[in-house]
Amino acid sequence: MADLNVNGQVIALDEDGFLEDAGVWNEEVALALAATEDVSELTEDHWKVINYLRNYYEQFGVAPMIRKLCKETGYDLKKIYELFPSGPAKGACKIAGLLKPTGCV
Amino acid sequence: MIDHKDLRPKDLGNPDQQLIKLQELMPLAAPYDKPGMEPDFKEIKDSWKEKYCASLDGFVGIDTLIRPKSKEEEEEFVGKFLNGLEKIFSDANNGVLQPLLLSFEYCAKCNTCSEACHTFAASGKNELYRPIFRSEVLRKIAKKYFTTSGKFFGSLVGADIDVNWETVARLGELAYRCNLCRRCAQTCPLGLDNSILAKEIRKIFSQEMGIAPNPLHEKGSMLQLKTGSSTGITKPAFLDTLEFLEEDIEEKYGRKIKFPLDKKGADILLLHNAGEFMAWPENPIAFAILFEEAGLDWTLSSEMMGYDNVNYGLWYDDTQAKKIALQQMRVAQELGVNRIVIGECGHAHKASAIVADRMAAAEGKIPVESCLPILWDMVRTNRLKLDPGKNNFPVTLHDPCNVVRQMGIVQPQRNILKAICTRFREMTPHGVDNYCCGGGSGFAIMNHCNFSDFRNKVSARMKFKQILGAFQDTMENSEVPKYVCAPCSNCKGTIRDILEYYQASAKFNVHFGGLVELMVNALVSMEKPFLEFLE
Repeated sequence: MADLNVNGQVIALDEDGFLEDAGVWNEEVALALAATEDVSELTEDHWKVINYLRNYYEQFGVAPMIRKLCKETGYDLKKIYELFPSGPAKGACKIAGLLKPTGCV
Repeated sequence: MIDHKDLRPKDLGNPDQQLIKLQELMPLAAPYDKPGMEPDFKEIKDSWKEKYCASLDGFVGIDTLIRPKSKEEEEEFVGKFLNGLEKIFSDANNGVLQPLLLSFEYCAKCNTCSEACHTFAASGKNELYRPIFRSEVLRKIAKKYFTTSGKFFGSLVGADIDVNWETVARLGELAYRCNLCRRCAQTCPLGLDNSILAKEIRKIFSQEMGIAPNPLHEKGSMLQLKTGSSTGITKPAFLDTLEFLEEDIEEKYGRKIKFPLDKKGADILLLHNAGEFMAWPENPIAFAILFEEAGLDWTLSSEMMGYDNVNYGLWYDDTQAKKIALQQMRVAQELGVNRIVIGECGHAHKASAIVADRMAAAEGKIPVESCLPILWDMVRTNRLKLDPGKNNFPVTLHDPCNVVRQMGIVQPQRNILKAICTRFREMTPHGVDNYCCGGGSGFAIMNHCNFSDFRNKVSARMKFKQILGAFQDTMENSEVPKYVCAPCSNCKGTIRDILEYYQASAKFNVHFGGLVELMVNALVSMEKPFLEFLE
């Protein structure tokens, strides 16, 4: 995948469009990542999901279970897909700046 | 590009053009036998060709196999490979030396194995994917460098291959076109095993050259050794997950279940593939419901290496496999359990029950068992009250290779299905003759560049065809839900991907999941369906 250009700064992405380095994430990077996922703007609903994911990731070093994400944000899976068409892992986690999921998932 | 019918092992040494391009694939069954029912291969990008080795068949499996920048780098690469190749035939490789030598030296080239290989069949019988093609390349290289006749007479005695970066890199890629399912070994009249040779090539790449797919090594074994799980789940994350699931079980199913944790002296230490907690938590939930209802004395472990049964080293690197196997065994020893029971994960069955058995020292070894006979025992002895009428929809069973072919556990899972479903039907063929899901040996989690295309369209093609075959009576009736039971995390991931890739869930109501989920769905004591698609 081509790297992202955010205000002149080049942000490295892996072949699936996830950040190579989770440390470079900020709100502008999120917007640029959203554009790669056909999400044209980040609404309050989007940010609720993104912020939850980031807080969990910061605390535990891994993404939360999808069930937990739905419960804690109050959005069912259908709503998550409406917000992030590629779904919770490939869409929401990517825009939230989490690294690509690993293991047998 | 070469017409695949004219492709010869020595062609791997030809300069850098793509050797073959897949075109006429094996036809699928109805309704996927009509044009336009399956997506085309993604176009290969120039940037992939420049960076990786895409010159075998246009797919990139190894994301750490990078083209050299100088002649020196190329020479070093080839030199390390040859060095490693020599080593696999030495006593240092004693774990596998005898079967390796038998398979290397005694092949009669009868091609019985080709007919057994799902990838060869799915590819439209492309020469490149014959199980013996890869082996022949390896034999030619060994002959050229390590035999007197090969050194002196070269092509006159079959040592006719040019060995350069492209040859070795293509061979490395070709080692990742085999699922290591050993169906070919089962049919070989001489009992030879081409998958050993594929695995040895992977080993040389990893152990001697430091090259292995990232999802298996860096983000697999290494992450597991660092955090306790290849998913990256740490102990605090694991504890948080269990706590959440306990609340969830109570809210959803009205049951109070406490996952027994780090219980010293328990009879059973249950080891799950941690991917289940992330992607399919209903699986460990179902295990907990069944084990509690049957009154088993069991525990989970929250210790480092105690909550993830995976061992990816099995697919590419003996030293990583051993490190992980021994640490998992130590967790069980410290808990003082009678036995380790492996949940629904095929390669963990093989890793813990067969491979680790030879790696661990005899003293303090804890017996390792499959969950399947234990589950059948619960059903057989009526410790669970089950109503098969609750599973009143077509169900078929995928046999994970490591469980059936590697370990001979064939009957318990079918006995259970016959007892808990009204419309169970077998795939053809099944049991020890099953076909791999197409995700075996790491493919399920390798998604680099266009590799998922190879999996979805080629290595998993036979499985998809079998699924379609099993459901022919109701396939096109989207009112009828259909369930592919795959008691293995890796197989489940592959089947999820093919159902999505071919839109079989969306169009035809085909679902997938494990065995324990179906068992819980049949429990008389469950007030609501456990399977979400029935809600």
